[in-house]
Amino acid sequence: MTGAENGPGDAALAELIVAREVERFLIREVGLLDDRRFEDWIELFAEDGTYWAPARIDQDDPWEHVSLFFDDRELMTTRLARLRHPRVYAQIPHSRTSHTIGNVTVDPPDPAAREYEVTARFVMLDYRPGHGQRSFGGRYDYRLVRDGAGFLIAAKKATLLNCDDVHEAISIPF
Amino acid sequence: MPENGDLSGLVADDRIHRKIFQDPAIFDLEMERIFARSWVYVGHGSQVPEPGDFLCTRIGAQPVVMTRHTDGRVHVLYNRCGHRGVKVVAEERGNARRFVCMYHGWTYDTNGDLDFVTQPEGYPEGRHPDKVRDGMGRVARVDDVCGFVFANLSPEGPGLRDWLGANVICLEDLAASAPDGEVEIRGGVHRYMYRGNWKFQIDNLSDMYHPAYSHESSSRPTGQQFARRKGDKGGIEFREKRGRVKSMDPLGVSALPNGHSWQGGLPQIENTSELHREYVRRLEARLGPERTKDILAKTRHNVIFYPNMAMQELNPHIRVIRPVAADLTEIFVYPIRLKGAPEQMFREQIRILNGTHSASSMVQTDDVEAFARAQEGLSTTGNEWILLARAGPETVDHNTGRVRSIGTSEVAMRNHYATWLSLMSRER
Repeated sequence: MTGAENGPGDAALAELIVAREVERFLIREVGLLDDRRFEDWIELFAEDGTYWAPARIDQDDPWEHVSLFFDDRELMTTRLARLRHPRVYAQIPHSRTSHTIGNVTVDPPDPAAREYEVTARFVMLDYRPGHGQRSFGGRYDYRLVRDGAGFLIAAKKATLLNCDDVHEAISIPF
Repeated sequence: MPENGDLSGLVADDRIHRKIFQDPAIFDLEMERIFARSWVYVGHGSQVPEPGDFLCTRIGAQPVVMTRHTDGRVHVLYNRCGHRGVKVVAEERGNARRFVCMYHGWTYDTNGDLDFVTQPEGYPEGRHPDKVRDGMGRVARVDDVCGFVFANLSPEGPGLRDWLGANVICLEDLAASAPDGEVEIRGGVHRYMYRGNWKFQIDNLSDMYHPAYSHESSSRPTGQQFARRKGDKGGIEFREKRGRVKSMDPLGVSALPNGHSWQGGLPQIENTSELHREYVRRLEARLGPERTKDILAKTRHNVIFYPNMAMQELNPHIRVIRPVAADLTEIFVYPIRLKGAPEQMFREQIRILNGTHSASSMVQTDDVEAFARAQEGLSTTGNEWILLARAGPETVDHNTGRVRSIGTSEVAMRNHYATWLSLMSRER
């Protein structure tokens, strides 16, 4: 019989390591949005990566049904370049946001895997001076791929609890 | 609201009074005299394809249900129980054999007739509820053009085709641009709201003066907006070389009787994608090359169906305007699928509509910002008037009553308010 340090303890530790690694990545990712570092945020996406916020709670396809956001990198770039424009009136004054992330799950729980399916819950507060504070929240689904020491986002899906509500203008990604 | 009820002082030749947007009493009167007496767009037949299918919506501020009855006919019902007035249908859409009121279990057919009253023995002789009178109630008139269903709560006044006039052609052309000759509404709906009056959206849809300013942030440094169709060489040009704003005047704007209007159209943008060529081939197979060319020469941008709908041909969709209060409006945007067109074309259409017409769009967000700021700005009392004075040479088509002028003319807006005043001044 081998010692306990070579048994389930290693697997649990490995899972903890990868979970923490992913969590740190996600905290950094949403933090870039809160810090308005939009160009750096786009860089976290793989070349063919997508950012998607469905408009229906059970929506499993971004092509057959409209969405709040469904951006490839090109559209992300167009959208976020607009936020830098001096006359982007819908964002004068601009929103302050705070993304909080939690309940992170990572599959597979293996630090050596190439690709991960990640789920999490999020809350985003959006305060635009003069317009009151709004809260958005729901579920994140990510597909992350290993990239050197870090990750790239192959897909990020943000499903709002009230995705099919009648919203006032939204400018900052969830 | 003027004390004697005379609104004519609020609409002048070249200006309108700010109260039109601010006064809740005027809003209530609009619901009564415009939304309850005009042909209001309700939905498309393809949203209720099967018997029993239903879709909840509003006419003005009133909840209604569009249904397809067992005989295949489309009805529009007031969404209230004949008994105590409880809203009967709570789901936004679905299929039902009958509608059952939650309160006392009264049951209705999908044409609104009262089907069954619970514990009927409780009604004495002569007081038993009546199948029709105590039903959910059908709105007075329902009619459609190419499946686009309009309803009129009033039994009086012109029929739908007379009301729409030349706008009928816009719906027919849209249907003709589908290789199968038919369109359907599919792919869900974008919804957004703004803290402003519903008429700001109507006016904006005929406004070719604003894009280079309001939407400047959606254009590249070259002055061109992002492409609105897959394969398009570019987007709408806001600016010419050296940064001068490009005038939209050559595109023209048209005012039609009953408050309707057209923009444009937009200049042809070359599209050489294989997808587009495949679409053209399919269209030619049905229509031949001549008629296809004719249909593809899209000459109109936004077409307004006064008072609550607009359609756009370039990336086909319709926009429904739902007034909620004098200072609150909801907008619903539905993609339109051209039946028989390549499936991938519809997918691209959906993708681009996300960028242009969602709550997070790169275009509408500027417009709704302008509407909210207008609502706020018009609360000031130093100046009672809004100017609608821009004009240019006009030509009149006497067959249709269409008045065409230069793109940045405010002729269509003046026309909205001429119709507004005429509808609002009718006591019955």
